Amino acid sequence: MSGLDRTQPPPSGEIRHFDFPEVQTGALPNGLDLRICMLPRLPIVSVNLFLRAGEGSLAEGRAGTAVLTGDALEGGTRQRSGSDLAEALEGIGARLGVSTGWEGTSISVSVLADRLPEAFSLLAEVVLEPDFPSVEVDRVREQRLAEIRQRSMDPSALASDEASRRYYAEGLPYARPQGGTEASIRSVTRDHIRGYADACYQPGCGGLVVVGDIDPDQIRSLSGEHFGAWVGSPSVVDDFCVNPETRERRVWILDRPGSVQSELRVGHVGVARTTPDYLPLSIANLLFGGTFTSRLNLNLREQHGFTYGVRSRFSFRSRPGPFTVSTAVGNDVTAPAVREILTELETLVRDGPTEEEVDAARDYAAGVFGLHLETAGQIASRLNQIIVYGLPDDYYHLYRDNMRAVSTDEVTAAVRAHVRPDEVQVIIVGDADSILSSVEALALGPLQVV
Amino acid sequence: MNRLAVPWERYRLDNGLKIVLSQDRTVPVVAVNIWYGVGSRNELPGHTGFAHLFEHMMFQGSQHVPKNKHFELIERAGGTLNATTWFDRTNYFETVPSRDLELALWLESDRMGWMLPAMDQEKLDNQRDVVKNEKRQRYDNQPYGDWDERLQALMYPEGHPYHHPVIGSIEDLDGATLEDVAAFFSTYYVPNNAVLTIAGDFDERQVIDLVQRYFGEIETGAAIPPLPGDSRLEPIIGDTVREHILADVPLTRVIMGFRIPPYSSEHFAVAEVSRALLGMGRASRLYRSLVRERRVAKGVVTYAFPLLTSASMLLTWATGYPDSTPKELEAALTEEIEGLVEAKQREVDRAITLMETDLVRALEHVSERANLLSMFDLYFDDPDRLNHEIDRLRAVTVDQIRDFATSQLGSDNRALLVYEPKRNS
Repeated sequence: MSGLDRTQPPPSGEIRHFDFPEVQTGALPNGLDLRICMLPRLPIVSVNLFLRAGEGSLAEGRAGTAVLTGDALEGGTRQRSGSDLAEALEGIGARLGVSTGWEGTSISVSVLADRLPEAFSLLAEVVLEPDFPSVEVDRVREQRLAEIRQRSMDPSALASDEASRRYYAEGLPYARPQGGTEASIRSVTRDHIRGYADACYQPGCGGLVVVGDIDPDQIRSLSGEHFGAWVGSPSVVDDFCVNPETRERRVWILDRPGSVQSELRVGHVGVARTTPDYLPLSIANLLFGGTFTSRLNLNLREQHGFTYGVRSRFSFRSRPGPFTVSTAVGNDVTAPAVREILTELETLVRDGPTEEEVDAARDYAAGVFGLHLETAGQIASRLNQIIVYGLPDDYYHLYRDNMRAVSTDEVTAAVRAHVRPDEVQVIIVGDADSILSSVEALALGPLQVV
Repeated sequence: MNRLAVPWERYRLDNGLKIVLSQDRTVPVVAVNIWYGVGSRNELPGHTGFAHLFEHMMFQGSQHVPKNKHFELIERAGGTLNATTWFDRTNYFETVPSRDLELALWLESDRMGWMLPAMDQEKLDNQRDVVKNEKRQRYDNQPYGDWDERLQALMYPEGHPYHHPVIGSIEDLDGATLEDVAAFFSTYYVPNNAVLTIAGDFDERQVIDLVQRYFGEIETGAAIPPLPGDSRLEPIIGDTVREHILADVPLTRVIMGFRIPPYSSEHFAVAEVSRALLGMGRASRLYRSLVRERRVAKGVVTYAFPLLTSASMLLTWATGYPDSTPKELEAALTEEIEGLVEAKQREVDRAITLMETDLVRALEHVSERANLLSMFDLYFDDPDRLNHEIDRLRAVTVDQIRDFATSQLGSDNRALLVYEPKRNS
């Protein structure tokens, strides 16, 4: 025997100081924000081009145009067909990704370092010379419509879409699914897409992030070569205020006969990414429903066995995104699970978190931040956040210190300012026959089966 | 040209525990990863789903670690953790700031050596409920959620270790007892049936002493019993076997499975590259033809499962559009798969280039390095295989792929599931 004392966890070793890597910032003459970070650990590079072409700036009847335009980028360029484009990219091992959100469109390429110049040139071709052939536009539209059909039978997607609809006032962008509705997608034509790209795929208010095994001078020169002559600013910008649909607590049961589980969403309109309460609220969320050992998960999963898992989340967007508790629970425990979620919300607001919980969440946030500085993609996505939300250049360099400085009082105050148990919308996607009477008996507020 | 040079060293403790170390000090992060040589293939009849339920029990504390403490301590350190159960193995892993390596070793060693004293009925009942909810959420309440259970049953005969799904059945989960937990633990959760990999930022002078201190006194176990059931299998199914399912699904989906050589066979590389020609990326055959040009499929999925026992599985599926008929979807999928008998060198080059980028990108994470090193050591006794993955794939020739298409992808080796939406909605 070694005589090792196993009864106590071993103490942590000495902390090894590690900074967010150094970033070279600049801009092209056309206003495109340029951020370059050397990460020579492995011969790989991530390039991310952010354009302020997002779903948040679209009128309801055109919802989904930004998403479809992003989808259709792989349909080809003036120089080559969609298939040839795929061959050209994958022939050099490059992965092209397009993701469209409320704030904008991100077009990214991941490639081995020795093929970067070719990948850079292809990225520019995709963005500056998209061709949008009709046949490819028709295809991506049909794919989105099929996707919408799939979502309509997926209980989790149904619950999330229903939650957005019930949290936000009708007509607001955040009230609808990010990818648009069946009606709006059907109405988007090739001309709309062409027009949208011409108007909104512009360098102004956008940014280019390059991270990996690179030479910064080469990046500056590649950027100038491929994007230097490109000028303009998006002609449409998102401009809306967010209102909740109601301030009254209500229950919505979306009947899905035969469901063996109920998908739950409980929440309301939250806050914008730019809120001064961002850090205290992030800590509040970690201890409430953002980690395995959060209040919600220990209660609903580890104590009651109601669920495989439960999470809470503030979706921080340019405008106030939703605050939501999400889980899926057995039919017979649906009402008790809703009751527990409400009780946890009420307790959190009434008593605030304990000093110990805040300590633990702060330590988690500061520690886990370092775990996500390993890859080119992770660092690129952080730098992209700076561009999207206009955060200070040194935001991530100061992140851990700022996180550690948050006090329990600040967390409590932020919770009381932004979490309102009396105003939550309770969404249940499940078998109404099995759950209706017990949910009604909770008497949470007006209840509607839809 | 070989771009990969992931360093590694290997040790073995007296109790049989295999250790792989792979240092990289660029970021102060370390991954601890254990693979146990046990999975759903080891489950006895009437005990399906038990390996996975047992994995949940491993998080319920051990003699010196109270319930929830494992998660609490790792999260407090700013770490992440999880575990997964599959056919041939179960893995457990933490990624932590490197100052807390010892904490991860304490936790992993305590449950490897001293799990049973912490077990009780309440914990078993609780995790049984959690797992049943996992099954409902991921399988029973999902359109197409039963596909893997159906496909495995078509591809592997009753009595074969891959005949049943990892998640198991509710009835078998209901039957699990604390005695089962104890027996499973003493049989399979022994140091001589495990590989521990530590990858990332550690002090090479201290790390072996630490491992020895925490794991050295765990007693070695008996030899691992042979697999239950009958693993003998023909290399091909011998026919086209099919099942037509009218269900509450949104779109028609055709799923095809083919028996392929096991992961341990040198011919598995041919299946991997063939799969990439078929379905990896947008220049792949299935995407190009079914999705882009003919527009009969909304999306395609392909996968070559790395399974060890007698025969593995190559999986393809195509999801149609609202007006697709199962027949046209199946015909289009079949045509493209059979078309692989005319594979071209250019397609092979593209696939291998893409696979290389994906591997390098995966290796950016120390957790992924640790996971692959554990796998290669447990499965093949050869962690260095990680550094030769690309060479292994690059050695595949276009002729081998054509032969593979003839011998393994024909109508005499096909398991088909056809999901068709009920038209009442």
